[in-house]
Amino acid sequence: MLVKDVMRHPVLTVDERATLRSAYQVMQDHQIRHLPVTRSGRLVGMVTDRDIRLAVSPLAEGGPRHLEATVGSIMSQPVLCADPLDPVEEAARLMRRRKIGALPVLEGEELVGIVTGIDLLDALVTLTGVEKPSGRLEVRLPDRPGELGRLTQFLGREGINIHSLLTYPDDPKTVRAVLRVGTTLTHRIADMLRVEGFNVVWPPHKPGPK
Amino acid sequence: MTVPVVYHPSYQTYTFGPEHPFSPRRLEMLTSLLEALGHPVPTYDLKPATREEILMVHAERLVRRVEGCSAGEIAADVEHYGLGTGDTPIFPGMDEAARWLVGGTLEAARMILRGEAREVLQLGGGLHHAQYDRSSGFCVYNDLSVAIRHLTRSGLRVAYLDIDVHHGDGVQWIHYDEAEVLTLSFHESGRYLFPGTGAIHEIGKGAGLGRKLNVPLEPFTQDESYLEGFEAVLEGALAWFRPDVMVIQCGADAHFLDPLADLMLSTRAYQKLFPLIRQYVREYAGGRAIYTLGGGYSLDATTRIWAMLYLLLQGHPLPERLPEAWRHHWEGQLHQALTPTLHDAPDAQPKIPRRPEIVRHNRQIVRRLLETVQPYWK
Repeated sequence: MLVKDVMRHPVLTVDERATLRSAYQVMQDHQIRHLPVTRSGRLVGMVTDRDIRLAVSPLAEGGPRHLEATVGSIMSQPVLCADPLDPVEEAARLMRRRKIGALPVLEGEELVGIVTGIDLLDALVTLTGVEKPSGRLEVRLPDRPGELGRLTQFLGREGINIHSLLTYPDDPKTVRAVLRVGTTLTHRIADMLRVEGFNVVWPPHKPGPK
Repeated sequence: MTVPVVYHPSYQTYTFGPEHPFSPRRLEMLTSLLEALGHPVPTYDLKPATREEILMVHAERLVRRVEGCSAGEIAADVEHYGLGTGDTPIFPGMDEAARWLVGGTLEAARMILRGEAREVLQLGGGLHHAQYDRSSGFCVYNDLSVAIRHLTRSGLRVAYLDIDVHHGDGVQWIHYDEAEVLTLSFHESGRYLFPGTGAIHEIGKGAGLGRKLNVPLEPFTQDESYLEGFEAVLEGALAWFRPDVMVIQCGADAHFLDPLADLMLSTRAYQKLFPLIRQYVREYAGGRAIYTLGGGYSLDATTRIWAMLYLLLQGHPLPERLPEAWRHHWEGQLHQALTPTLHDAPDAQPKIPRRPEIVRHNRQIVRRLLETVQPYWK
């Protein structure tokens, strides 16, 4: 999943000469929290609703700014940006590390979109979501080459369609694979996997007929 | 007054093969048990639903593909319609077999509309996963939604109650924006079980907002916690909605012996559930209800639960032991021991170590659900 798949566009921007009052109004009107700031159409900074509220408050360093002060006088720069072809996890990592809530997306010099923390939450919902009727399988795999392949090949042979697959490190030697599979018969599949030597975490084994 | 039963031997033609859990054996065992108990189930003078009746809730492109599969002309894209999968394999005659089940549930609706009966037991159907343009989870056509739509087109308000262990997704999505249909599904949480939906935030849209209710329960939920949530949600919802009729899918797969799912109900829970449902039907739905079967894949437990449903609806006493001859016959057929009594053996249930946590979690789910939907109940 790439930044271009989750970013919002077109992007609302303000000129650096806009007043704090008008920039704040734009954000209120559109229910957004981040505005890229431009000079002659080129991206030069970012301003957030919080930046503006702080700038005009008595708590501001050096005293409150006037509401008619320019956005350019308080914007953050230089701007951290993303490329449309960056994977979403890279954008997430950058935002996390630099503690920022949004990244403008630049294609060359052109501002083509913006991605925010909320868009990344949406991506998480899509990645882990239930798009089609499906059951859940959770398998603990040894952390070595070919194990995931062995699992998916088994499911392929059984004619089980995989709707989504997530893996994450479990302990130093194992990886957890969480799959949404297009079947109600996950208990049956789990028991077959156990026979094949897989460590199935979910669903649990149920005793058969007495 | 006895409750009329809609049943036809053609229901048993709905079969995906000997290894498949949704087996007509369930009906065979049930009807033979009822007969052995002195209550033979008569064949109802029934016709399968017509193509036009199926089209009341399904896309023509789905119906066309089911008809093709049924006749052995299998379109290349049938998997996109949920057909020819491990869960819902293709079999010759599947279109007509599915239309028989729809025909039965629809006939139950007609009996109520004609005023012939207030309660009807459809001894089949309950195919709640089938969606507008997709067969799913053993369900080719959605008999419940066809009946519900027939009732709403006749001007009735319908409350649909689903106690199958799987979320009643097909019914929910088909009526998702309808004001005149309330759906309530009690199921094992979709976090763990097929079909994955049925979370508390699925509350309907448009005119249907606040009228689709889901109670996703923790795996290993037992009788007491289930019944607590059931009463907490159902009574308030019905007292507010005041349906003209209820449609109740009585899947038996929330039982602890069920091989496909992880809830832990005993037959004692069902003995409380069925009369409780009837009490609500009398108090809030003018006494009108259609009961259908549904999921239930432990042949042992499912037969006993549905026999109990039948006997309770007819006002017959519940036997303690099942007829020996019947049991020996089926033990021979199935090569497995069957429970000799109508109820589970007292010590049959495993201990659940996480029980307090499960009870607490279910309580919280119920509270959050009610907080979410009650603002719409005005």
